[in-house]
Amino acid sequence: MSNEGNHLSDKAIVTSILNGNIQGFAIVVKNTEKLVTQIVGKMTTNADDQKDLVQDIYLKAYQHLSSFQFKSKLSTWIANIAYNTTINYLQKKKIPITGIEDTLEDKFIATDNPALETIKTETVEILTAEIAKLPPLYKTLITLYHLEELPNKEISEITNLPEGTIKSYLYRARKILKDNINQHYKKEQL
Amino acid sequence: MNSIHLTDEMLQAYLLKEFQDDTIASHLTTCSMCRKKLEEYQLLIDSVQTMKPETFSFNVTPLAMNRIVLYEKKKTKKQALVYWGILAFLLIAIASFSIPFIPRILAIFYATSVVATLLVTGTGLAVLLFLLVDIIQQYKAKEDKIFKNNLQPIL
Repeated sequence: MSNEGNHLSDKAIVTSILNGNIQGFAIVVKNTEKLVTQIVGKMTTNADDQKDLVQDIYLKAYQHLSSFQFKSKLSTWIANIAYNTTINYLQKKKIPITGIEDTLEDKFIATDNPALETIKTETVEILTAEIAKLPPLYKTLITLYHLEELPNKEISEITNLPEGTIKSYLYRARKILKDNINQHYKKEQL
Repeated sequence: MNSIHLTDEMLQAYLLKEFQDDTIASHLTTCSMCRKKLEEYQLLIDSVQTMKPETFSFNVTPLAMNRIVLYEKKKTKKQALVYWGILAFLLIAIASFSIPFIPRILAIFYATSVVATLLVTGTGLAVLLFLLVDIIQQYKAKEDKIFKNNLQPIL
């Protein structure tokens, strides 16, 4: 079904759904679930909340499908709904979206470079743990930019943030990650 | 060693090819500290790209589609309720307005023979029954089309 869906344009799928082919929405879900998973999964950890959020996101998308004006890709539009819904959820739970608590960013003192070859194998594991410690928005931006390989323009459409702000957050997030990984190795060396 | 170093932003922009400048390249050839930072950023970006994408412990498509099917069923029920409500209201309104005309209509039947009255009444009832059966059949066909063929959740 996913392959079939990929061949249909956004317009054809949306028109078909609006004409009563509700099952056609399953193609939309299949085509966008990876992106939605990245956004919701990076910003929340509770499985029950994730289930509720995913259902809310797709229900909102379904209910407002007639207002989709094809100014962006359908996946970007749904990702935007996913982002806003998740942000609302975080705000309700009073979870800071960009706040960084006690990062090592300013405390970091450059040490000798650890042997790069040795650390390569461990880095992904450490990195996963360090990314998990990042504020929700930074995690999402890093994932969308580096894993989903979306351009800044598309990330801007999803998050409603200016491209300059996204670049700035990404620089900051990468620096925090680099410094924290260095700090991790520095501790290990002691 | 250089006393002025490249900023983290410049290094990242250079690495991601967002900003290309010969002075950065030449600085990197002479400054081991900046080169080291660049290598660290390179390693970081490479590692992020090799990370496994986020997954859920549940299947997204059936979950989302079940919710949508439920929403559609509720919406259809609500619409049916509104439809039957309006129909009932119209019937009551028509019946109320018809009350003054009932004696006149009955007078037509009294004036004719019993056979003619039975014929007219029988034909009227048969037509009404036929229409009612047709409406029910059409409604069931539509219901089957919506719920059996279209709203089955994908598993």
